[in-house]
Amino acid sequence: MEQKNNQPVKYDLNFAREIYSLENGSYIKQCMQCGMCAISCATREIMDYSPRRLFNLIKLGKKDEVLEANTMWQCTSCCTCKARCPRGIPIIDVMHDLKKYAIQNGYSDDPRAAFYKAFWAEVASRGKVFEGGVTARYYLIRGLDELKKAFAMKDVGLNMLRHKRMPLLPPKKVKGLGNLKKIIRKAQELERKEAGR
Amino acid sequence: MKYSFYPGCSMEATAQANLKSIEAVAGALDLHLEEIPDWNCCGATVASGVVGDFTQQVMTARNLAIAEPKGYDVVVGCSSCYLSLAVTNKRFKEDEHFKALANEALAAGGLKYDGSLRVRQFLEVVINDAGFDRVKEKVKRPLTGLKVAGYVGCQTVRAIPYEFDDPEYPVQMDKLMEALGATAVDFPMKARCCGSSNAIAATDIVVDSALKIFQSAAGGGAQVIVTPCPMCQLNLDAYQQRVNQLHGTNFNIPVLFFTQLMAVAFDLPEDARALNYCIVSPYEALAAYGVGK
Repeated sequence: MEQKNNQPVKYDLNFAREIYSLENGSYIKQCMQCGMCAISCATREIMDYSPRRLFNLIKLGKKDEVLEANTMWQCTSCCTCKARCPRGIPIIDVMHDLKKYAIQNGYSDDPRAAFYKAFWAEVASRGKVFEGGVTARYYLIRGLDELKKAFAMKDVGLNMLRHKRMPLLPPKKVKGLGNLKKIIRKAQELERKEAGR
Repeated sequence: MKYSFYPGCSMEATAQANLKSIEAVAGALDLHLEEIPDWNCCGATVASGVVGDFTQQVMTARNLAIAEPKGYDVVVGCSSCYLSLAVTNKRFKEDEHFKALANEALAAGGLKYDGSLRVRQFLEVVINDAGFDRVKEKVKRPLTGLKVAGYVGCQTVRAIPYEFDDPEYPVQMDKLMEALGATAVDFPMKARCCGSSNAIAATDIVVDSALKIFQSAAGGGAQVIVTPCPMCQLNLDAYQQRVNQLHGTNFNIPVLFFTQLMAVAFDLPEDARALNYCIVSPYEALAAYGVGK
């Protein structure tokens, strides 16, 4: 949002409306800013904004602040806030929507965005998740520097290998993969249609 | 009793010990698990961050649609899979509009789901269908004196709050451990997040979460941590050494699936206990209960 000198701050209501139109987006309007999510959150201390503050920024139309924030990526879907929210907002599901929206709109610098894409690519290609495949795809997206960081963790990997915790070969693909793909394609088509209603 | 069983991806990879011990314990308690044929990934809590809740739930529902003709309750071992299947199932039962749309998508693959099934966790089935009394009957090596921290984790009790336990301070798994003869220690962090799938992309979150959980378990004097969740088990087991390296701590607490400890108490064969999959060695803590390398 561009702010000209001596002009009052404008609310970008288009952004707020777009977020409200996401699958769980309209719940954000229910937020009464009580802060229960903030005190419940397992990762609040490392979030740029607590869920409460993020929802307020959405209402104010602060697109860049919202989409560049790490808040949704720090969310681990542990469900504590969702179970406690006095307004019944399914906060983790709103966070899923924001992750998806951020990726679709090119805000995917956070390493978790790469992890999510890698995970989905794995599901889409075999119908099941193979951890080795997710990891390989993740490092392909993130590049060599990230792989160097991984070497600091090599003990973890070796320990897992030693205790048969890291199969090197993927599981068999789902037999009905063709049909599963058709189901997924149809679901995406229906979801887009619903969003446009 | 018969059940449809949804194992989930981790049971074929990082959590094979979970699968082996679940199958063996179920057998010992006369719970007949029939694997859902050609099941697919539930998407966990990750897929919806890329393709949205609806697509993720429809993908999950394919498994329910395949299981529906048998009519058995669907039993899930993994907490994250349980979250996906139970929440999806609830939507089919409560949201007609969603159900119609989801069935339109499932029809593209020749499937349909009516929402008639019940989705349950293996932990809850052991407690409510087998029951503590039957569990006690099966115990051949009481775990007397063993101090256990019951790490329930997050999604097990919060996917559907109050479904079978308190979402803030769950007690059912502790009672199960007591039925085995063990002592459940006071463990304030028992339902705290383990850091989830951040192990690869943001390892610090897992290490910091695990540190707090170990401190809490050790504070209660726990010799062993048990959990129903493959993600929790992996994070606490595989990253314990890393926690010690980074924080100068000296934790040495084996992390088992609750079913592995049941297999020990039931005196089931080594393959059912599957202790060789543990990264932090459990042999010293369990030496008094007939467990050797």
